[in-house]
Amino acid sequence: MKLDRRRFLGSSVSVAATVGIAAEWAWPKHSVSYRRPRSAVAVLNADEYSEKIEALLLDGLRLFRLNVLGKTVLLKPNLVEDVPGPVNTSATLVGAAARSFLRLGASRVVIGEGPGHQRDTELVVQSAGLKPHLSERQIEFVDLNRDELRKVKLKANYSGLGELWLPRSVLDADFVVSMPKVKTHHWAGVTLSLKNMFGIVPGMKYGWPKNLLHWSGIHESILDICATVPIHFVIADGITAMEGNGPLQGSARQLGKIVLADDPVAADATCARLMGFDPLRVRHISEGCHFLGNLREDRIRVLAEGVGAPTRPFSVLPEFRYLFAAKS
Amino acid sequence: MGRSAEVSVIEKTLRQRQLPSGGWSYFSSKQASVEATCLAGLALGSDSRGDPVSTLRFLKKSQLSDGAWPAFQGDSEGAWTTALALCALTVLNEISDASNRALRWLLEARGIEGHWFWRWKFKTSDRNVQFDPDKYGWPWISGSASWVIPTAFSVIAIKQFTVCNRSEASENRIHLGVEMLLDRGCVDGGWNSGNSVVYGVPLRAHLEATAIALLALQDERRSELIQRSLVWLKKEADSVDSVSSLAWCILSLFVYQESVEALKNRLATLLGDGRDIRNNATLATALLALKCGEMIHPFVVLR
Repeated sequence: MKLDRRRFLGSSVSVAATVGIAAEWAWPKHSVSYRRPRSAVAVLNADEYSEKIEALLLDGLRLFRLNVLGKTVLLKPNLVEDVPGPVNTSATLVGAAARSFLRLGASRVVIGEGPGHQRDTELVVQSAGLKPHLSERQIEFVDLNRDELRKVKLKANYSGLGELWLPRSVLDADFVVSMPKVKTHHWAGVTLSLKNMFGIVPGMKYGWPKNLLHWSGIHESILDICATVPIHFVIADGITAMEGNGPLQGSARQLGKIVLADDPVAADATCARLMGFDPLRVRHISEGCHFLGNLREDRIRVLAEGVGAPTRPFSVLPEFRYLFAAKS
Repeated sequence: MGRSAEVSVIEKTLRQRQLPSGGWSYFSSKQASVEATCLAGLALGSDSRGDPVSTLRFLKKSQLSDGAWPAFQGDSEGAWTTALALCALTVLNEISDASNRALRWLLEARGIEGHWFWRWKFKTSDRNVQFDPDKYGWPWISGSASWVIPTAFSVIAIKQFTVCNRSEASENRIHLGVEMLLDRGCVDGGWNSGNSVVYGVPLRAHLEATAIALLALQDERRSELIQRSLVWLKKEADSVDSVSSLAWCILSLFVYQESVEALKNRLATLLGDGRDIRNNATLATALLALKCGEMIHPFVVLR
């Protein structure tokens, strides 16, 4: 048979595709799966950060029948910088979550964060207004940038990092709650519960910012981290969110929602839909739905409120216009 | 309680937190941090009851075979802390091959922009972050870009260690590091963690990065950026209530002959007896700031 150039190219593409599929089958990129048949999400309406949030949140958490009795709960808010604007997860919400988990029977609540840019963690905690919430006996703050570290083999291999040093307080926690601020992000598209886990990677080893994760691929690093440290629950602060040039320099966007979920992919997909984005167009969410949780709406049970697309999608930098969901 | 009494109480607290290995952890773990150890060693170095021998022994023992120091005990990868360790050895008068090996490692280390491919990429396609990739400094760990704080500490360490015997290689590397710092200054003065403009929007300066960058530039010509950054730092220092940032402001403003007495008084009030400051690196930096003017400044660069 004569092998012309077109045939040769066609055969090469077929061989490459077959090898790719075989490689994925023989060497899957993740060794764990946290997906369940169905996940639960509750979207709570809250117009402002007030004392009323605590009762609202506690009622919302009770819908999930969580078993945190006697457990150490780690709350991982998104505390980034000491700058004005809706940059950090609201301290009112973090404090309310800490007290709610104690009321639900947790033996201890640890609020842990390793800010990505600002080395002075005390400055970030002060400016976020978190200090008054740390006065209760069973609530403590841990600087994840400087905690004792253990080397951990990653349970997924998207980034090629293989292993990471991670904080003891995170690895020892019984129940990890990601508490993102709902924001756009100028490198990742969005920063929600999965991206929020960048903050557990310690600055004392990887620097400020954790630049090695950027060079290894932001989406890839997110997938590897979240495969290794599973998120048990999400409380997303979407009361005042951020659009445009997030995560630091965007504009405030009043969304008026708190999103609760027992699955980080379901939480992020719901938040993305609330922002007017197609979650399938965010790489770490679309890939995460194969093993970190559920993305499809028919696999997400809504316990409270519904998720309508916003009247106006969140604004984004021109590079991220592809995120917008098609109008139905 | 007078200032000297306050200082000696804080020194005692810091001494009590030293690990049997001779190092200090950041918080209460047994995993020694090279940053916390260097700062604590420098803060207690001039203290007659201090034990620089055990600190130096820890540092020499934890140096890696390539001359670098890891960020913490148990890690085997060289990090930015190599610069801080070299400063500590120099200031504590430890004359050994450890310092020469550290210098050699620092002269070789560079941010990823040090490679022509990445320089080319930053110049041609990756333009959302504005900086001159020809001017590169030092990374936090290898495999990442240059950042302000590791570059500033590396410049200080090389300047201090080579003050009497500066080779062309050292001079060139200092020059490139200084150029990188001057390139990355924020529009309103000061330094953010790395770049000054992202997606066309200027970033806001950070106190600690600004204070440490100014320490690295203390013997350079007072350019407009340095002057503007000093003004910014002085203004911000007046209102900051965080111990670490305030301490770095004092250490930096002091070498520029600015008055720091009022800032030291405020720092002493924030510190109390120091027991509430759980982070040993912060406590040591605060101690260094309180002792400013009463001991050899650990980050001073002689001309």
